[in-house]
Amino acid sequence: MHGVFTGIRLQIVFYRQYPDSFIPLMTAPLFTIIFLMIVRNAGRADLSPYAVVAPVFISLWWFALFHGGLVVQTDRWSQTLEMHVAAPTSFAAIVYGRILTVTAVGSLSFVEVWLVARYVLGAPVVIHHPWLLAATLVATAFAMAATALVMTSLFVLIRNAFTLANSISFPFYVLGGVLVPVALLPGWIQPLSKVVFLSWSADLLRASLAPGPVPDVGFRLAMIVGLAAAGFALAADLLRRVLRRIRVTGELSLR
Amino acid sequence: MLDDPGEGWAVVIDEVVRVFTPRKQAPVRALDGVSLRIPRGEVHGLLGPNGAGKTTLVKILSTVLLPTSGRAVVGGHDVVKATRRVKPLIGIVFGGERGLYTRLTGRQNLEYWGALYRLPSGEVRRRSDALLERVGLTDKASQRVETYSRGMKQRLHLARGLIGDAQVLFLDEPTTGMDPIAAREFRHLVIELKGEGRTILLATHDMVEAETVCDRVTLIDHGRILATESPRSLREMMSRFRRIDTEGADTALLDEIAAMAGVVAVTRADGGARIQVDSEDALRAALKMLVERGVTAVQTSLPSLEDVYVELIGERGLEV
Repeated sequence: MHGVFTGIRLQIVFYRQYPDSFIPLMTAPLFTIIFLMIVRNAGRADLSPYAVVAPVFISLWWFALFHGGLVVQTDRWSQTLEMHVAAPTSFAAIVYGRILTVTAVGSLSFVEVWLVARYVLGAPVVIHHPWLLAATLVATAFAMAATALVMTSLFVLIRNAFTLANSISFPFYVLGGVLVPVALLPGWIQPLSKVVFLSWSADLLRASLAPGPVPDVGFRLAMIVGLAAAGFALAADLLRRVLRRIRVTGELSLR
Repeated sequence: MLDDPGEGWAVVIDEVVRVFTPRKQAPVRALDGVSLRIPRGEVHGLLGPNGAGKTTLVKILSTVLLPTSGRAVVGGHDVVKATRRVKPLIGIVFGGERGLYTRLTGRQNLEYWGALYRLPSGEVRRRSDALLERVGLTDKASQRVETYSRGMKQRLHLARGLIGDAQVLFLDEPTTGMDPIAAREFRHLVIELKGEGRTILLATHDMVEAETVCDRVTLIDHGRILATESPRSLREMMSRFRRIDTEGADTALLDEIAAMAGVVAVTRADGGARIQVDSEDALRAALKMLVERGVTAVQTSLPSLEDVYVELIGERGLEV
């Protein structure tokens, strides 16, 4: 746990020294305005929850991919990666701590999106199921952290990592039903969306903003947590491969 | 094969081999059966050209890289089997611009790396302040590292290497790119550290540095150790390159001397000449001839460490 807390502290210091890191939190309200204006002009105020949920996921995803996903690679470029390997504290623990912090900061986007939607644009966004909302946000944050952990190793292990990073966002938004419900997509895509935690999270988040009972809450939350667990397992394996590349093959050295 | 290491050895390296196998290329044998022992408290230089294996050896000893075969022990612990016991004992100082978080301040960098040694936060702050004072960075501690000069960054690297109170320090070309004054100050710091009983392995190209601070020097090339001696002993080993520097000897005299047995070379320049001999007899004979012919401006000397280096490693120019 010492390593995790040290990673958290480091990431907090980074955020203080790199204020430009908070740009996604500035764009989330703008996306909110755009999407809400679209549904409002279409005369579909009932779709306001969709317009609110999408910017949250876009912001969270951005934090996970471009902050969390670059933790290991930026350490490699700055040649602090090997220093971490030689240090007494587990490098994996440091990475986990930093990515947890990234995800927590990214989660703040929900607060600002809701505030902008409700009090700036007067959109009918009411939290009908607050405990479900809280549980979904927490589960989503863990799943997003797992995604970031997978990405942070993947970006080091594969070539053309930035091409991948820049390319995969919108497919994941589509598969995750972030703005457009998966039910409206072609049938052959829908099974794919079931293995993307975003689809479960987006549905539950929208359900928490809608009146009426929410069916299968336990199962749906369990799917998010289960996919997060699978992500963590994959991330652990990938990070082991990164450390192996450093110590056994020496491939990741830049000196 | 060396005996099991006993007390008194800070570093024991036993037939270490390290082979890299880059994709679609032939394997590279970066270390080829290196064996070496460094006693506690010694400053040991590792001299060699680029690609000799110095950084590879430092990485193995600091647990960053695994050896392909062989054994290395640091502070009494095997670097492969007891990695966790080695790490708290060592500090690493890499040269160059990188290895620090540049948007963080000097103090923030130190406190972070100190935390990785599992020190209580109060102790981290105390050590950071003390080290910043020691390396002369107190006034700059609250400034971002990106504003530091090369020499300042290098001093911060050294402070970072000491934050865990390392008993064994690995310095990998720490003065690369530093101006002569900054490099000299750095060497003073290294000598101070030696006085504290720390063991230091200094990988360097810098001959002056090796001669000034090192108790012993190991010459390494193509992953093999060529010699391990004190700087003076290495120079004395090259007694065949003892030299006479002289002024005022005419061409005819120098030609006679060049033809004498045991005279390796006579190099003329700017009114003077350097006579290289391969034995004490040749040295005496050449001196006698010079003096008998009225040449009194003579000076004898041992080869410099650079001469030894060039002789043993060879004139390879820019080739790696």
